[in-house]
Amino acid sequence: MTTITADHHGDHAHDHHDADHKPAFFQRWFMSTNHKDIGTLYLIFAIIAGIIGGAISGLMRAELAQPGIQYLQTWAQYSDGPSATLDQAYHLWNVLITAHGLIMVFFMVMPAMIGGFGNWFVPIMIGAPDMAFPRMNNISFWLLIPAFALLLGSTFVPGGTGNGAGTGWTVYAPLSTSGSAGPAVDMAILSLHIAGASSILGAINFITTILNMRAPGMTLHKMPLFVWSVLVTAFLLLLALPVLAAAITMLLTDRNFGTTFYDAAGGGDPELYQHLFWFFGHPEVYIMILPGFGIISQIVSTFSRKPVFGYLGMAYAMVAIGVVGFVVWAHHMFTTGMSVNVKMYFTAATMVIAVPTGIKIFSWIATIWGGSISFKTPMVWALGFIFLFTVGGVTGVVLANGGVDDVLHDTYYVVAHFHYVLSLGAVFGLFAGFYYWFPKMSGRMYNEFLGQLHFWVFFIGVNLLFFPMHFLGLSGMPRRYPDYPEAFAYWNKVASHGYEIMAAGMLIFFVNLIWSLAAGRKAEGNPWGEGATTLEWTLSSPPPFHQFETLPVID
Amino acid sequence: MMASLPPSPFDRERRNRRTLVTMAGVGLAMLGLGFASVPLYRIFCERTGFGGTTQRASSDVNVRAAVGHSMSIRFDSNVQPGMPWKFYPEHPTDTVTVGARDMAIFIAKNMSDKPVTGTASFNVTPTQAGAYFTKIQCFCFTQQTLQPGEEVRMPVLYYVDPKILADPDNRDTQEITLSYTFYPVEQDKKPS
Amino acid sequence: MKKVKSLVLAGLLAFAPALALNSQAFAQDNAAVAAAPADNAAAPAESSVNAAAPAAEAAPAAKVAAPPRMKPTPGIGMPSPGEISLQEQFSPTGHTGRWLHDKMLLPIITVISIFVLVLMLYVMVRFRRSANPAPSKTSHNTLIEVIWTVVPVVILLVIAVPSIGLLADQYKPAPKDALTVKVTGYQWYWGYEYPDNEIPEFVSNMLPKDKAEANGEPYLLAPDNRMVLPAGRPIKLIITGADVIHSFAVPSLWVKMDAVPGRLNEKSFTIEKPGVYYGQCSELCGARHAFMPIAIEALPPAQFDQWVLSQGGKLQGAGAAVTTAAAAPAAAPAEKL
Repeated sequence: MTTITADHHGDHAHDHHDADHKPAFFQRWFMSTNHKDIGTLYLIFAIIAGIIGGAISGLMRAELAQPGIQYLQTWAQYSDGPSATLDQAYHLWNVLITAHGLIMVFFMVMPAMIGGFGNWFVPIMIGAPDMAFPRMNNISFWLLIPAFALLLGSTFVPGGTGNGAGTGWTVYAPLSTSGSAGPAVDMAILSLHIAGASSILGAINFITTILNMRAPGMTLHKMPLFVWSVLVTAFLLLLALPVLAAAITMLLTDRNFGTTFYDAAGGGDPELYQHLFWFFGHPEVYIMILPGFGIISQIVSTFSRKPVFGYLGMAYAMVAIGVVGFVVWAHHMFTTGMSVNVKMYFTAATMVIAVPTGIKIFSWIATIWGGSISFKTPMVWALGFIFLFTVGGVTGVVLANGGVDDVLHDTYYVVAHFHYVLSLGAVFGLFAGFYYWFPKMSGRMYNEFLGQLHFWVFFIGVNLLFFPMHFLGLSGMPRRYPDYPEAFAYWNKVASHGYEIMAAGMLIFFVNLIWSLAAGRKAEGNPWGEGATTLEWTLSSPPPFHQFETLPVID
Repeated sequence: MMASLPPSPFDRERRNRRTLVTMAGVGLAMLGLGFASVPLYRIFCERTGFGGTTQRASSDVNVRAAVGHSMSIRFDSNVQPGMPWKFYPEHPTDTVTVGARDMAIFIAKNMSDKPVTGTASFNVTPTQAGAYFTKIQCFCFTQQTLQPGEEVRMPVLYYVDPKILADPDNRDTQEITLSYTFYPVEQDKKPS
Repeated sequence: MKKVKSLVLAGLLAFAPALALNSQAFAQDNAAVAAAPADNAAAPAESSVNAAAPAAEAAPAAKVAAPPRMKPTPGIGMPSPGEISLQEQFSPTGHTGRWLHDKMLLPIITVISIFVLVLMLYVMVRFRRSANPAPSKTSHNTLIEVIWTVVPVVILLVIAVPSIGLLADQYKPAPKDALTVKVTGYQWYWGYEYPDNEIPEFVSNMLPKDKAEANGEPYLLAPDNRMVLPAGRPIKLIITGADVIHSFAVPSLWVKMDAVPGRLNEKSFTIEKPGVYYGQCSELCGARHAFMPIAIEALPPAQFDQWVLSQGGKLQGAGAAVTTAAAAPAAAPAEKL
């Protein structure tokens, strides 16, 4: 898609000494203004948050492995003291599901996708020396720390029946207002405010960088698709997050200052909160997956040694997904008692999203078609992504039908659907990107065998974990339940075994990560060969501390 | 924007700042929209009857009754748990001629030994009937204070707009349920 | 201040019926049916305030014996072990809905997924590096791009037509003579009231494990008092929430509707066969969200009338007429229960 003139390559060798001058440790990591260092910080943060969020899902799968309450009461003694009641144990369950959701969305996927890979590669891919506002970039990252601390801290303060915020990641009123006394929910809301502010600043930074900082000749229509995906994502963040901020601010005032925005007692409406939340919440799911689309496009093209098929269609399909994503929110609210016409509209509008999504799936396959594929670890993850995202996408079409949603809403079918698009979609995208760019970021190759092994163990694990949830949902098991009737025991057991396999896959990943960082083979500038055409592969691995002090020129 | 010559650092900085300000403006506008959605949502519901929001008309409005077209009206009453009121409709259902005014009586009694002020939320089902259910006078328009042990009969004067007969979405609507929920009014709760 | 108060209150509300349940041994197939109205008396004071007037009349009328508590049939109106599909449906919209899912959506999404999988396997084998060392440089083909845009649109249109039809069916308002039952979601139990029959609100709490098992009913699905409904007659539920949002759901009847405090929702359906149909709360409502099950006991109309009388209720004029008409066909399946 873009060819790069080779002459700037020599320039770098020339001013290598200047470009690699790094500040001292504290200055470098705590007051960083370097997009690559900030990207690294984001990735480290996301890995830590992912470990915590993943461990919480482990607790959940352990409890759900068989009917009855096995462990919750024991765990409740840690959070609520030795005299924890059964109700507090149940409340702890709600705290776990809430924390898992919020951590994975706001502190794992988003920081990794946008903060991590976006920071690392958007400036490089457009031939910019850094982000437009390096200091703001640093603030964006450091805001996440207090946000995460507040969320984790909320677990240890009263939140209604027991300690912690047990409202679900959706924080629906009035459960989150009159239904949850105590500071836990306030802390969780504040955490979202801060994380939201961080993301909005980041979004403005990305938009400015991509619009203004492109190297000469790098027109919008020559930008790599990953940059396109981050641009669309940044706009979604900028448009959606302030609405969430407004919605949860009103929650906060309803809780603490006697307002009644969502309280029918004072003329408010709890459904307004749901409208506002999902006006943010639906674009949010595209915020999580679009950068994944971008990553997959780069990888598929690189390892097929072919330019992306239908580049413009791919770019504008993402724009279309972003735009349509703003007018479908109420399909999350099909059972709230909307009139039938409203449901028909949201059913139809939601199904429309399948069209640009289909364009992307088929364009990826067409990119591979006629290519010369090498099945390196990133490519294997990308192929896994394409298929599993398709599976998650088609169940989305089922759920889009307002009439069918009447039986599937808030069941495990929904849980299966969004884990297929997020846990098997976004997370596969993250791993694909991580293996793809690991040599570039660290200067060392990962272990190919461990990478492939990680893929297969993880692939089997997550499918065993999430596919049976479709069955559970179809037969009627509701979400957010710590205990279930005997009839649901079989598939829950299977799912919990799936978790064990997936967790083993994660161990392989961490072994690979540590081994590769310590003893991996030194990576050359472009380890992937002629298929890797984007600018990051023209630099050394890792790139110099300051790149493109002389701007590259794109033909 | 897509000049082939690299812009000078000064130009670039100015342009960046302009984009920053524009984008911050967009973000603030969306934040404003988030808050503005509260009155906008209310106006939207009132105009369209969304979610079963009832309409309101002044008493001098003149509607022609559609003789021969009747509609069953059901009355539903709720009191927020903890509010010491008894509150129920005099008759659970009523049959009215579409377009004709009718009066329904709700009875409320304060069961406590303290004066209690209440305010009611309300809607109708099926929700698509909200645009046609019109109240001329209702106890729900204002707050009600009941003295200890006091019992009052509270009227609702309403009609069903005959336009409902022409609405294909209400072709199958034979019964409209009008529901009220009473809440205690507290000093620290002010209407938003 | 208010929050603390309402929390304490909610706690009391939740415990009151549980205590009542413990003190009155739960009797299955109880001939001395007075137990059911007696449970009502134990309902939280607040919820019975509303219904105080009809309750006064109820006492003398409770002479008629209630029909015996129906035994559930395994696999009917409840999930089956290892089940991989939707539950068997017992309402007309349920049949349409299940048809749409099983005969239309499921085949279409399966075919699409397999199609994508086959395509991927093909390209992975055919265009692996050893088989195709020199990649093509093709990056456009307008025709194929138009095809993969238009074909999904057509598929979606094919899905949309019956889907919109199902929606219209589902949300068709109930006819005037439908039996109306008021459903109220509380933290954490359900309240049922029959305004047409002047049966005041009674509450429905989950049965503890030993009692459910002793009773031959599925634990976590079985409540003490069921919502009793006539089979074969249109039902209109009017649903609201008392404290937070709950959701009233019965999968085998294709019913799910949120119970939102401060507003009323309605849901209409018809149960085709007598039986017991279980459901669970489907909107996160706090600690015991998983422990406020729903059970609908659909009786042949004549037995439903008997139940109404046993509760001290009055038969509805219109309802009684419908009852006789529907009694004959509905009676047959009842026998096997």
